[in-house]
Amino acid sequence: MREAMAQDKLTGAVLSVRAVSKTFVTRPVLRGIDLIVPASEAVCLCGINGAGKSTLLRVIAGLLRPDRGSISIQGCEVRREPEKSRRQLGMISHASMVYPELTVSENLAFAARLYGVPNRAGRIEEMLTGTGLSSYRHDRAGILSRGLLQRLAIARALLHRPAVLLADEPFTGLDADATENVLTIFDRFVREGGTILMTTHDLHLGLRCCARVAVLDRGVLILDARKEEIDAPRFLADYLSYARSRR
Amino acid sequence: MKDMWLGLRAILLKDIVVELRARQVLPTMVVLGMLIVFILRMASESAAAGAGVPVMGAAALWIAFLFSGLLAQERSFAAEQQNGCIDGLLLAPLDAGTIYLAKVAANIILLTIFEAVMVPLVLMAFRLHVAGWGRLAGVLLLGNLGISSVGTLFSAAVQLTRTRGALLSIVVLVLLLPMMIPASFALLVLFGALPENVVGSGSFAFVGSFRAAVAYLLAFDAVFSVACWLLFGVVVEE
Amino acid sequence: MRRLLLALAFLLLMASTWIGLTRGQIDPVQRNILYVHVPNSVCALLCFVVVLVASIGYLATGGQTWDLVAAAAAEAGFVFATILNATGMIFSRAEWNVWWTPSPRLVTSAILWFLYAVYLILRVSLPDAQRRAARLCAVFGIVAFLDVPLVYISARFIPDIHRPNFSLDSAWQTAALMLGMAGTALLAAGLIWLRTSLLRDSRKLEQELLG
Repeated sequence: MREAMAQDKLTGAVLSVRAVSKTFVTRPVLRGIDLIVPASEAVCLCGINGAGKSTLLRVIAGLLRPDRGSISIQGCEVRREPEKSRRQLGMISHASMVYPELTVSENLAFAARLYGVPNRAGRIEEMLTGTGLSSYRHDRAGILSRGLLQRLAIARALLHRPAVLLADEPFTGLDADATENVLTIFDRFVREGGTILMTTHDLHLGLRCCARVAVLDRGVLILDARKEEIDAPRFLADYLSYARSRR
Repeated sequence: MKDMWLGLRAILLKDIVVELRARQVLPTMVVLGMLIVFILRMASESAAAGAGVPVMGAAALWIAFLFSGLLAQERSFAAEQQNGCIDGLLLAPLDAGTIYLAKVAANIILLTIFEAVMVPLVLMAFRLHVAGWGRLAGVLLLGNLGISSVGTLFSAAVQLTRTRGALLSIVVLVLLLPMMIPASFALLVLFGALPENVVGSGSFAFVGSFRAAVAYLLAFDAVFSVACWLLFGVVVEE
Repeated sequence: MRRLLLALAFLLLMASTWIGLTRGQIDPVQRNILYVHVPNSVCALLCFVVVLVASIGYLATGGQTWDLVAAAAAEAGFVFATILNATGMIFSRAEWNVWWTPSPRLVTSAILWFLYAVYLILRVSLPDAQRRAARLCAVFGIVAFLDVPLVYISARFIPDIHRPNFSLDSAWQTAALMLGMAGTALLAAGLIWLRTSLLRDSRKLEQELLG
């Protein structure tokens, strides 16, 4: 394990998932997943429902404990240094993790306190501007539309400048405008050195913002390739027929 | 250490603000408490005047406190279940124990506000006088700690398994049963219905001293708050 | 092996009853319920210890068997606690003409019964397959066990109405009581073992059907 971590530092891997397996009672959901992602890279994780994508994300986030394997973020092993590794992580999932009774800025202030973000007010201002939520800062989160709520969730996730952003189906329920917004924020994050691991059903979007594609099938990664290495239209067609056949 | 304190304070303040804005639990607690007091007052009307009344008053206070207290405990994690906020807390670089302590503190504060309203009502309804407000506050605080420490742990456990029904109520009530005896004794002493030291006489007189009762409550709180704090991490992970 | 255990338990209990009723009769007659009451009281507590150990074991290792042992022990303990309360009430009625009164012993038995009852309700109400559910039961098992000594102490705040002198005069009586204890303990062990394997088989079957 130590050699692996040393290797991480050499190769500059920000997120490294090694031999991760997880079984739910009798059903194996993840089987020996290996995934190494460096800085400034976005990975799109595809797979049909039930393939284990959300589970993998939750395991990386530390919300689920893997039965086997290890995960390190910036060289910190999640199990051994939970607090340090959680600082490097931001996550958006199906649930917004936002308190409806608090306003937009109050939600961000709370997250800032939880993560011990220095210069709270300034950073919150930055995030509000960055996600275009400035005019909504005093609105209660409970009244926000889905698109705005997603932006708030992203602001919350990136507030503490994590190295890795985990995004579980970030484009679900968003209209074209909101989707563009989210894509812009993701692009900026990656350009500034961040790593994204996202799951999505919409492969077009996935291929648009991610440089790397991985396919999870029955708990195993059956494909992990860079965008340039695959023929996009053929990949999309193949994937569709694969998804249909697995139904 | 400083981080832990910051995080704890953040969660505590957030809980209070959310609760005050939602304006759900506290009013319900007070109304439920008042209903219980009213019912017991009516029930005691038919009992012989004098000796029975302080007992009914102490009973009314503890029953109102327990049942309304349960509402406060449920709220602890019901709000976090919405929108998956509990994940938000678990993702933060915080020890699970810190989350627990913050929630317990929030519950104690809610219960204290509740008692500030209820105690005068009970005293008025049952025509009681208190010998020692400081001691009353102390006893009630110990009770608050007892119900909050147990309630917070199991509120998380029950909420996170997503079941319905009065599970939380029966779990908390059964574990708090032994606390009730010395606690009622303490209250009755403060209401002037019992002398400070009672040595086994008559069928239903309580045995012991006020000090022993308080010592018991302290021990009870110490055991349970530590145990629940340690077990919280277990309950909250998936 | 299990059948042997249960048969032995049965034999011991029969011996205890026979000796107790013929050679070791206590006077007045209702006090003979002691032979049932005391062993059950001890076993109800023993089963709780098993629940505690199994709960800790489950939380520490995550092994399903620990969880099942806890469930089985809780069921057995519940039975003993029920008998304990029933015999206590029968005794109370015969001796003092009241079915129940808040005396320390009766209060303690009652709370013990409630603790078991809540544990069983938790087991029944929670979705079986979830690990969180099993963990909740284990956590409750531990916390409830911590409750027990506190119950005993708090009961001290209640005076015992009449404290009957339970001194066993003859050797026959002691023998009957000891046999009763041994028999009930073996019964407890046998029941827990039996129930655990029943639960394990039913779990396996369930998983195969759903798997």
